[in-house]
Amino acid sequence: MRKFDIELAVGVFLLVGIICLGYLSIRLGKMEVFGSRGYDIQAVFINSGGLKNGSDIVIAGVGVGRVKTITLENYQAQVVMNLPWDVKVQEDAIALIRTKGLIGEKYIEITPGGSDKLIPPGGKIRDTQPPVDLEELISKYIFGKIQ
Amino acid sequence: MNRNFLFPMVSAFLLILGTGVPSMAGEPTEQIKQTTDKILSILADPNLKNPARAEERKQSVRRTIDGRFDWEELARRSLAQYWAQRTPDEKEEFIQLYRELLARTYLNKVQDYSGETVRYEGENIESDYATVKVRILTAKNTEISVDYRVMKRRSNWLVYDISIEGVSLVNNYRSQFNSILQKSTYEELVKKLKEKSLTEKP
Repeated sequence: MRKFDIELAVGVFLLVGIICLGYLSIRLGKMEVFGSRGYDIQAVFINSGGLKNGSDIVIAGVGVGRVKTITLENYQAQVVMNLPWDVKVQEDAIALIRTKGLIGEKYIEITPGGSDKLIPPGGKIRDTQPPVDLEELISKYIFGKIQ
Repeated sequence: MNRNFLFPMVSAFLLILGTGVPSMAGEPTEQIKQTTDKILSILADPNLKNPARAEERKQSVRRTIDGRFDWEELARRSLAQYWAQRTPDEKEEFIQLYRELLARTYLNKVQDYSGETVRYEGENIESDYATVKVRILTAKNTEISVDYRVMKRRSNWLVYDISIEGVSLVNNYRSQFNSILQKSTYEELVKKLKEKSLTEKP
């Protein structure tokens, strides 16, 4: 009887440990097991400039959501963003890929529009702006000079 | 920021100039090309090259551009969430001021046109919206990519945003207006716009 109690305690302890570990890895890995909360909208960029799954989505500097997937569609980057239900995006909003600092990581900024129409779940931000490519600008400047 | 993009903006604003390669372009490209060609012909008109008729020349370029741009849409998108708070009169005034601002900033450079050419690189239509991709080749042999964002109004495709090297005109003004309106009032913004159109000679 006594022996059984100890075994039970160890078993329960181990089980709790495994559950905690699972929870932790899901949280740290930012995985979503029970389906994502909020809704998804998409945007197509000419160049995603190194944006990653899980990159921040920011409105007025406030992080509101995360990039869910990035896929290549017709040689353009199709980005699916996950936003909470209470963040509404107008139909004339513009999505921009920005860099934190000069060489920091990339994130998406949404500048809200003024339209009455909102983008429905599964909808699309039509106007996008790819990251400004400094190298490309510099090379343009250089070649422009030589000619 | 504003200054750096002035040159390409100027070029774009003229819906530049130069003969595009005839292609199997769709309706939006066709209409953008028509406007571009018309402006080109005004600029190339030897009768209008006389400095005495510079004003007339500018006015006719302006009229041509007016026919292709949806100024209300541009103004609405630039003012974004502050648009709805304005009265109809204020909206009307703002559209005129905004139009004036853009015209004065970019149209003055019409005289600087120096043989830039345009290549039409295709278009992308999604129901009533489309993007017309254009490449401007400058005299210095630099290429500038310009996207015209157009929307269909009856049978016309009207420009509601221009993006040059990926930088959007509307977004540029949207963030500027935003930061002014957050720090001060709408009246202050209107005052600033008016001052700007007075200081910068047409």
